[in-house]
Amino acid sequence: MSTLSAEPPVTGKAGDRVAGPGWPWIVIPAVLLIIGLAVWIYQLTKGLQITNMRDNVIWGLYIISFMFFVGLSAGGLIIASAGRLFHVDRFKPIVRLAVVEAAVTIFTAAILIIPDLGTPNRIFNLLIHAHWMSPMIWDITVIAIYLVLSLLYIWFYMRRDLADRGSWMALGTKDTSPAARARDDRLTYGLAWVALPAAVLVHSITAWVFGLQISRGFWYSAIMPPLFICSALVSGLSLVIILSLITRHYSRVDFDNGLVSYLGGLLAVFIAVEGFLVLSEVLAGRYPGVPTDAVNQLFSGRYAPGFAIEVIVGLVIPFVLLAVASLRRRPSLVVFASVLALIGIFVHRANIIVIGLGEAPIRLSPGTPLGIPAEDGSSFATTSVYFPSGTELLIVLGIVALSALLFVLAIRSLPLKEKPTS
Amino acid sequence: MTEQASAEIKNATRLGMVVDLDKCMGCWTCAVACKQENDVPEGMFYLRVLTIGGEGIDVPAGTFPNLSLAYQTTNCFHCDNPPCVKACPVQATYKQDNGLVAVDYDRCIGCRYCMVACPYDNRVFNWRDPVQDPAADVAPVGYVEPRRKGVVEKCTFCEHRVSEGLEPRCVVVCPAGARTFGDLDDPDSEVSRLLRERASYVVFPEKGTEPSVHYLTRVGPKAIAERGEA
Repeated sequence: MSTLSAEPPVTGKAGDRVAGPGWPWIVIPAVLLIIGLAVWIYQLTKGLQITNMRDNVIWGLYIISFMFFVGLSAGGLIIASAGRLFHVDRFKPIVRLAVVEAAVTIFTAAILIIPDLGTPNRIFNLLIHAHWMSPMIWDITVIAIYLVLSLLYIWFYMRRDLADRGSWMALGTKDTSPAARARDDRLTYGLAWVALPAAVLVHSITAWVFGLQISRGFWYSAIMPPLFICSALVSGLSLVIILSLITRHYSRVDFDNGLVSYLGGLLAVFIAVEGFLVLSEVLAGRYPGVPTDAVNQLFSGRYAPGFAIEVIVGLVIPFVLLAVASLRRRPSLVVFASVLALIGIFVHRANIIVIGLGEAPIRLSPGTPLGIPAEDGSSFATTSVYFPSGTELLIVLGIVALSALLFVLAIRSLPLKEKPTS
Repeated sequence: MTEQASAEIKNATRLGMVVDLDKCMGCWTCAVACKQENDVPEGMFYLRVLTIGGEGIDVPAGTFPNLSLAYQTTNCFHCDNPPCVKACPVQATYKQDNGLVAVDYDRCIGCRYCMVACPYDNRVFNWRDPVQDPAADVAPVGYVEPRRKGVVEKCTFCEHRVSEGLEPRCVVVCPAGARTFGDLDDPDSEVSRLLRERASYVVFPEKGTEPSVHYLTRVGPKAIAERGEA
C-alpha cells in the first residue's frame, strides 16, 4: 500500500513505452486464465452439476460476478463521461484510464455469462431467435452497443498519440497536428453525451433483469435501477481510484494526491447515497412486519452476516474514512476504503442473488425439486445454502485474470497520459 | 374416455386442470406416474405433492386434537400470462394455441431465466446428462423426446397424449379421481362446471399469472395464505 501512495518515480516520461507492470503481471494472470479455461472445458463435458447451483439456487457466482463487473464498468464510464460533460477538469488525468477500465470490465462481464449457460454452443440463438420481451435480450443488446462505444471512445481519445508513436493501433490515423487534436477533443466531448446515458442504461437494464420479475419478492421493486446505478458508482469509482494509483506507480499517468482525496470525497458521497437506498429498501420491507418478507433474512438467519459485512465493511467504515478530510488526504487510506467498498458491493450483489432466490416461493413441504439429489438423499428443499464450488471459483478467477491481463497490457501499451492541449 | 371428451381435448383453446384437494390423499401416485410417463430423470420432478400443514411431508398443522392436513399437487400451471414465456431470451418456451406452455429443447440455451421468472418453481434443469432413478430399475419408456444436459424442462400436460385426445397420465392414474382435465374456455366442459359450482383457488392470484390449474378445497386457501409468500 505504501508504494502506491509514494510520489511517482521520476523515471519515464509521457509517451514512454516500456515502463509498466513487469512480466509476472502478465504470466500469472495468463496461467490463471488457462486454468479457468481448462476447468470450463471440464464443466462443458460434465454439465453444470459440478457447480453448487441447483433448481433451488438457480443462479450463483457467475451471475453475481456478471452484475458486479457490469457495475464496475458503468461506474467507470459514468465518472469519465460525467467529468467530461460537466467540465470537471480535475478528472482529466484519469479520464482515459477510466474509459479503459470501463471497456475491460464490460468485456469481462460479457464473458462471465458464457459459463452460466447450460448449452453455450447455442449462444447464437440469442441473435437468431432474439425475444424482445425478455430483459435479458435488452441487456445483451445494450452491453454490445456499450462495448463498441467504449472502444470507440478509447480510440478517439488516443489515436493521435498512437500515431505520434507510429503504433499500428492508430489504424491509419496520421495527422497529429494541434488542429486535429482539437477536433478529436470535440469528438470525445460529443461521445461523452452518448456514453453517459449508455452507461446509466446498461446498469438500469441489468437491474431490470431482476427487478421486473414478479416471481421474486426480494427483487420486484422499483428501487432496483437506482440502487444498481449507485452500487455501480461506488464500485466503479473505487476501482478507478485503485487502478489510477497502480498506474501512477508505473508512471503511466500523472496526477497529484489532491486528486486522490478529491475522488475519495466523491466516493464518500456515493457511499452515503448507497446507504440511503439500502435503508429505504430495508425500511419498506420491515415496517409492515410481514414475517415472510425476504428482507427479514438480512437480519436473522444464515445470510445475516453477509448483510452485516455489506453495511459495516462496505458502507460504514469506508464512509468514515473518506468523510473525514484529514483521513482522505492519505492516499493509502483512500485505497483501503476503496477496497472495503469494493468488497461491500460484491457482497451486496451476492446477497441480491442468494437471498432473492434462496427461499422456495411456495413455502409448503417438501419444497422445490433440487435437480440432483442432495448428499443426504433428499430431492427437495424449502430453503437453500449456497457457496460456490471449486469449479465456479476457478472459472471466475480465470475470467477475472483475463480482465487483469487486458488491463496490464493496456497500461503497458496505451498512451494513458493526457497531452496538454493548446 | 368418451369420444366427446377426446374431441374436447383435441379442439381445446385453453387446456387446464382442476384438482379436488378434498379427495386428494397425498399418495404421490400422480408424481410417480409422471416420472415414468415422461422419463423424468433422477432428482427432477414435473409434479410434486406439497403438504398443506406443518413442516415436513405429511405433517399436519396445529396441535392435537386440533389438526389440519391437506395436499396440493403442484405441476406447471400453464399460465395464461406466463412470466417464463416473457423472460425466455430465445423464445424457446412459448404458448401454444391449446393453452399449453411448451419448451423447445433444441433451442433452449440453458440460461435458466424462465426458472427465475416462474413464481412457483415448477421448472427443472438438466444439471447433468439425464440419469434414470436407480431405484426404479426401468428403462426409459420413450414416449417423449429425450432431453440433454443443459436444458430446462417441465410438465408438458403430457402433450404427446393430449395431441391424441388423451388426458395427461397423472389424471388417469389418480386413485381418488381427484384430477379433472379439459378445456377451460368451453363452458360445457367438466372443468368449467366444477369451477362454476365449487369453491376454488389458484396459487398466488395477486401475481397476475392466471394459472390454468385450479384447486377445489375447503382448507387450502387459508393455509396457503398463512404459509405462502406475502
